[in-house]
Amino acid sequence: MTGNLTIRTREEGETLVVYVAGYLNSLLGEEVEKVVREQFDAGGRRVLLHFGDTRLVNSIGISFIIGVVEKVMEREGRMAFCEVSRINRDLFQVTGLSKYVRSFDREKEALEYLAGGL
Amino acid sequence: MRLFGTMGAEASFREEDFFGREEELSSLSRAAVEGARGIGSSFMIYGPPNVGKTSLLLKLAHDLRSSGGGGGLPRPFPFYFSFSQILSHPLALSQHFLQEFLWQLLRFLGDSQPAAFDPEGMCDRLAGYGFTGCREILAAHGKYTASGDGLSALVNALSFPFASEGDLVYPVFLFDDFQYTGKLQGVADGAMLSILRPYIKSGHYPMVLSGSSPGRVTAALKREGLFGTFQMLELVGLAPEASLRLWGYLCDRRRVRIPESLLPGASERLGRIPVYQRMLVEEIFFRNVEVADAVSLENLYALSVTEGKLNRYWREFFENTFPERQQRGRAIRFLKRVLCDRFPLDTVEGALSLLGTSPEEGEAILSALEFKGLMKADLEQLAFIGDPVLGDFLYWAFERGVLGKGASQVAASIVQTRLSRAAVEQGPGGDHPRRVAVVKELMRKWDLREVPLLLLDFGKFREKFGGKGLLEVVIGMEREMIRVRLPKISSVSTGYRAHRGGPRFDFDLVAYGFLEEEFSEENLVVWAVDVVPERNLAAHGVEHFENRCRLLALEKGLPADRLRKWMLLHETADPAAVDLASQYGIHLSHPTQLRLFLNLYGLEELEREPEAQRTGGGAPPRGEKPLEYELVLPMKADSEVVAARVAEEVAAFASVDSDTVDRIKMAIIEACINAFEHSASESGKVRLRYLLSPEKIELFVQDDGRGFHAGKTPEESKRNRGWGLKLIRELVDDVEIVTGQEGTVVRMVKFLESGPGGPAPGQGNGAEPAAPGEGE
Repeated sequence: MTGNLTIRTREEGETLVVYVAGYLNSLLGEEVEKVVREQFDAGGRRVLLHFGDTRLVNSIGISFIIGVVEKVMEREGRMAFCEVSRINRDLFQVTGLSKYVRSFDREKEALEYLAGGL
Repeated sequence: MRLFGTMGAEASFREEDFFGREEELSSLSRAAVEGARGIGSSFMIYGPPNVGKTSLLLKLAHDLRSSGGGGGLPRPFPFYFSFSQILSHPLALSQHFLQEFLWQLLRFLGDSQPAAFDPEGMCDRLAGYGFTGCREILAAHGKYTASGDGLSALVNALSFPFASEGDLVYPVFLFDDFQYTGKLQGVADGAMLSILRPYIKSGHYPMVLSGSSPGRVTAALKREGLFGTFQMLELVGLAPEASLRLWGYLCDRRRVRIPESLLPGASERLGRIPVYQRMLVEEIFFRNVEVADAVSLENLYALSVTEGKLNRYWREFFENTFPERQQRGRAIRFLKRVLCDRFPLDTVEGALSLLGTSPEEGEAILSALEFKGLMKADLEQLAFIGDPVLGDFLYWAFERGVLGKGASQVAASIVQTRLSRAAVEQGPGGDHPRRVAVVKELMRKWDLREVPLLLLDFGKFREKFGGKGLLEVVIGMEREMIRVRLPKISSVSTGYRAHRGGPRFDFDLVAYGFLEEEFSEENLVVWAVDVVPERNLAAHGVEHFENRCRLLALEKGLPADRLRKWMLLHETADPAAVDLASQYGIHLSHPTQLRLFLNLYGLEELEREPEAQRTGGGAPPRGEKPLEYELVLPMKADSEVVAARVAEEVAAFASVDSDTVDRIKMAIIEACINAFEHSASESGKVRLRYLLSPEKIELFVQDDGRGFHAGKTPEESKRNRGWGLKLIRELVDDVEIVTGQEGTVVRMVKFLESGPGGPAPGQGNGAEPAAPGEGE
């Protein structure tokens, strides 16, 4: 299961959409952190984490996501999640993540929200 | 000493066989060319074995060689070196490396191929091309070799390309199978990168590393602070369009015809991996058969995976590794004994005596085999299980018991493969999975030795009792003659239809048993069972089933009377279908018969929810033991995923909803990670037990470490860590942790259906209370 490092990103307007696909463990968490950091270093302020293809998550992976959220808040950016499965939504709830980041069923809604449309 | 070892790979590469990968090639070529300006990137290519990493490197080398220089800048010299066949001593590696470098550089410069290996001579020739200082470095290397200083010799050899650089060219390193550098004796993991670090960082010497298990290499890259310098490139199958072009080329070359409509499906079946496409076309050519339809293609695929191709893989491997026939014969015999006879191989001496060779020759054979990972007891090679054909190979090997050692890992890997593919191939819709679950459950409960033949044979059943009403039947008691001893089930494989895809393995259940108590090959009986999804079974359905059974018998080498064929009807059957089934000796059964059978044997009927489940409560019903599974996993990164996959498979037996399955998987992942991180176990293993009873699934994760303290450490809080236990408590209904100096057992319970639901508070028995500090 070492082939899980599958971060794909795309830019939609001013938002960086990060597709978190596969097993969200420490490696993948680290990758997410890296791409978000790069986005902020390059002056970007909006990030959407897309969990539609996230098949498994562990607590270490979540700890990275918490770190990312903290960083985004520190630097006054905007962030949202989309297509989070039921189980992952529960986990985000337990870890308090959902208090700070809004989750949307669809990518489009999340993008509109980040663009200030909602 | 092996001369020009990597020539094998280069010689076997044919440019015309190479298709697709334009995007990858363009990025890699650009990076290589940019080395001239000091801005060349380095890449780490990873992907499953056979996906085409080596071909990509060789194609890149070919393209760079033929590209020529431009703008007065130095030309990139592609230096391909595979570490898969290196000798494990650094001295030997350094020598091999030097030989290859000198030889490939001379060839690149247009020098004629040297007749014999003569390093000094080659250095002199290089001097003619403006490469100075070669002889001095070579002399230093000789000195280190003479004094047996392997590490210095290695540093010397690896620095050679930089020290001897001329103005005309600069090296671009194409290092294949880089993970094998971790095997060097007496050299720390990552030392190679440490030596090469300054050159990589400079941007003047682009480097492409390739390997099928990148974990180790990426860890080394991180240690050396090089991870950010490398771009990761995951290689998967070809693009669909390139895969189709490849079919066209391969079929033309062998004059094989596959109907065009089948090609996209065939590509997907083989994961669009070029070497498998080639193998399949070779198989069709070799057998000289007509591929008329999807069924015949599937059959050929299955045959080529199980018998023909597998042998070919081995043959190719042995021919490449042991050119000398006698030595090859010994290695093959040896490996067969180890694999097939499960010969315990405790010592090198034992292995040598098995080989019947001199120690020198024996060690060469052993090290070659070892490099391919064939003798590894912990089956690390199974990490690349995402490869579809390899998955089939493992299935094949597991079925025949040839991977006797570490069978649990193999089983887990197979489960993993099947599940990973299930995500793509959804099974047929409707209530098919439900019916499969029913059959599975029946097979689990039945002691088939006691099943009367009459019960299972719809044709005979109808003939004898048609119109008389079912209640008149006294099953199995009428005449002892019709009572038959059917095999006791020894193992059951299920889910073929949903997970393996395609009609070739289209059985709902295959069961293995033995005629008598003795578990010998002569007594082996195989049951192939299908649940008919159609409302009315027609003759062609029977025909199709019979064809598949024949193929199964052929594949397993079973005499006709040892394959029991059984179709479970849901609704009705055409008279012609019943006749045909009777002619082929296929048992036809109807759910009515099964219900009758269940009543007679006092078993619960599965379509209705059993009483016991509605009332809930603790222990499983009396007389029925819970199903129990065990798995031992190494404490290695990501092996918790195997535990989760097995949990998923176990949960499938209980037909639980997907949310519950997810919760169980997550809980077991967290418990495993906890054990990996905190147990400090010396054995480095974690033992898992899955207990499945009608009302609950119990999961046990046990380690033999030094005990566990609940609650977050300050360090964990700082890193947002320490959520594991809290998550587990959320995910399952009950958690118990028993911990001490002998290790820790985490017991997790998930109640099924309308069981006791919420967590049961205050369960004593040494359970560790949740730490107060643990929380948001």
